[in-house]
Amino acid sequence: MPSRVPLSEMDINLPWKHRVPAVFWFDRRLRVWFSAQDKPAPLAILIAGTGSDGNTGKLSTLRGALYGAGYHVLTMPSPTFPGFIVAASSTGVAGDLNQDGSDLYAAMREIIAHLPHKIQITDIDVLGYSLGGANAAVVKSIDAKQGKLKIHRVVMINPPVSLFSSIGRLDKLFAQSIGGDDQAIERLYRRLYAQLANLYRASDRQQLDEDFLLGSAAAILKTDAEYSAAIALSFRIDLINVFFAGDLYAGTGVVVDPKHPPKVGDSLDETERVLRSKPFSEYFGKVFAPYYLKHRPNSTADSLIADNRLDIIGDSLRNDPDYYAQTNSDDLILDAQELAWLRSTLGRKIAVYDHGGHLGNLGDRQQVKDMLDMLAGRWTGAAP
Amino acid sequence: MKAVGIVGVMKASTGLGMTAVLLGGCAFQNVSIRTLPAEDPAAQVAAAAASAASLSAAAANENAPGAAGAGPNGPGVAGTGTGGTAAAGIGAGGAAGGTATAGIEASGTVGGTAAGGIGAGGTTAGDDAAAQAPPLTAADAPSMHTYDPWERINRFNYRFNARFDEAIFLPVADTYRRIPSPLRAGVHNFFGNLSEIDSVINYVLQWRLRLGVRSLGRFVINSTIGIGGLFDPATKLKIKAAPTGLGTTLAKWGMHPGPYLVIPLLGPSTFRDGLGYLGDYGAEYGINIAHLYRGDVSWGLGTVNAVDQRAHIDFRYYASGSPFEYENIRFLYVRKRLIEDDALHGKPETPPGEPAGK
Repeated sequence: MPSRVPLSEMDINLPWKHRVPAVFWFDRRLRVWFSAQDKPAPLAILIAGTGSDGNTGKLSTLRGALYGAGYHVLTMPSPTFPGFIVAASSTGVAGDLNQDGSDLYAAMREIIAHLPHKIQITDIDVLGYSLGGANAAVVKSIDAKQGKLKIHRVVMINPPVSLFSSIGRLDKLFAQSIGGDDQAIERLYRRLYAQLANLYRASDRQQLDEDFLLGSAAAILKTDAEYSAAIALSFRIDLINVFFAGDLYAGTGVVVDPKHPPKVGDSLDETERVLRSKPFSEYFGKVFAPYYLKHRPNSTADSLIADNRLDIIGDSLRNDPDYYAQTNSDDLILDAQELAWLRSTLGRKIAVYDHGGHLGNLGDRQQVKDMLDMLAGRWTGAAP
Repeated sequence: MKAVGIVGVMKASTGLGMTAVLLGGCAFQNVSIRTLPAEDPAAQVAAAAASAASLSAAAANENAPGAAGAGPNGPGVAGTGTGGTAAAGIGAGGAAGGTATAGIEASGTVGGTAAGGIGAGGTTAGDDAAAQAPPLTAADAPSMHTYDPWERINRFNYRFNARFDEAIFLPVADTYRRIPSPLRAGVHNFFGNLSEIDSVINYVLQWRLRLGVRSLGRFVINSTIGIGGLFDPATKLKIKAAPTGLGTTLAKWGMHPGPYLVIPLLGPSTFRDGLGYLGDYGAEYGINIAHLYRGDVSWGLGTVNAVDQRAHIDFRYYASGSPFEYENIRFLYVRKRLIEDDALHGKPETPPGEPAGK
């Protein structure tokens, strides 16, 4: 790991975005981060996971590894991050692999065109974790047709195979570990509050700071089941933004009255309260599907689901030597069938680790080494 | 933010606020690039390791029998606390942002095995009634709804703060961060040391004398050996900072947080904590140590303090990208304060059925 990674942030106005709704006044421009080498070098573009911005701790870990290995690094938000939905989406309804892929691709081209001239790029690779992994692969397949960026290699880290079955599994996980009804979140909150307050009482601290919260996380999340609940909860929190933005842009009227959208300064308390108990299946059924069924002639709910499987680029994954993946056999967003599909499709271009769950081993020595080998074309398959 | 020269900042900001609104137009430029402080992945890995140790210490502590009601000399969750002088207001926002991140960044495996040792022992427990109180139960948690009768003006102030921060405060703090770090540490220590006086007064008012003596000790050591507060030898002597203020004193005396309040330039607060800031500033103004608070330099000093505080806070308005950021920060800030209050009293702060904070 290098001891110094320079970092800049770029805010960029993308010409194809919609009129920015009043309540999203702060998301007018897309924000991305880059670290530039001072000599010609390949560019690694990193895409965040569901709901995340372009500067998460995980991206920072990967940035350190890639910069240390001699890459320029550009980190981007997930197309499901509200800042992306507002500033870079051409529909405002996030979660469609093809649509999000083409928006990402267009955004990448604009960003690269506006990087400082002194940055000399010799090659372009794209990586992503979780949903970002699937996004990365789709972006490469789009580039294979359009040829504007000449993306060389792709590494998917813990990608989903079917977006909707992965998220459906998270809905189920949420219902099992937290509860399906309206009161479940309140119960969870009350339990967490009491746990935190008791830990804090025992701590001798005079301020409840971030350090304390990090320490408390381990005390509260002791079992795999509790970790799973935390993951389900964080997806739900991300979904609140995606749902709200989608409903607002598509005019589907689930929580936002299309005739009277909220104004700057209006309280969104009640809206958030309603949204927090809504599962992904409701986003699909009431916002996503109605919007895309209307805009894609001859599509059906089943075809929308099929369009959001990695199968759509299955041939490329199978035949093109430049698609790679890393995952874990205990990743909760994959079932056995999906993992088997990844293995059989990618053949020797996938590394499957025994432990790590969903992203738990991101940044580990082996994961980083294999990732760099894949990117450099040195990867020869998992060590026996 | 500690109260040094709040009035100075206010004066400066009236003009700057106007500029901020004008500069808000920056957001209409097509592309803008901002250089950030370089990252140090090696240090981040070390910090992650330290937090993993703190994690397992906390887990071990939780598992210990009667941990929640640990006696006066019971082990703390971690003796490694920073207890830094994170500014209230935005600082709390930063901490709050941290929770969200912790949630989002949760990973699939249980990190770190237990049995990482606890660092140096806790500081001075025993002053707090909470140590003897029965543990809180889920039924004691305040409502998820927050008492915010001034929501309209609060939202206005939140937006103003976000714009001011983006256009003025943050760029200035970025420039300040280019000053070599030993120099900045000196500035930070200097203001931190001045604020110890207010902490001493308030610890006495809270009748938490051991903590008061500790703050006084820090002030004496740092003002002398630490050359007027420019260095912080007290922390090296394991006398760690634990700033307090009138807001906490009022809480100790039984005052509820009251309505949520977003203070222009300072950020999230409550009616009670707002009074606290005024009182803290009044005390410092009244004492006027070394003529720093009423002399010709007070104006500039207040500004430097504000910039130094901002440079130490890792919070960015609307980094969440979310239209619910106001609600989320309010939720987290008020619960953070209620948990802190609870530790002062050992009893739930908000009567059941009322919005949190009332």
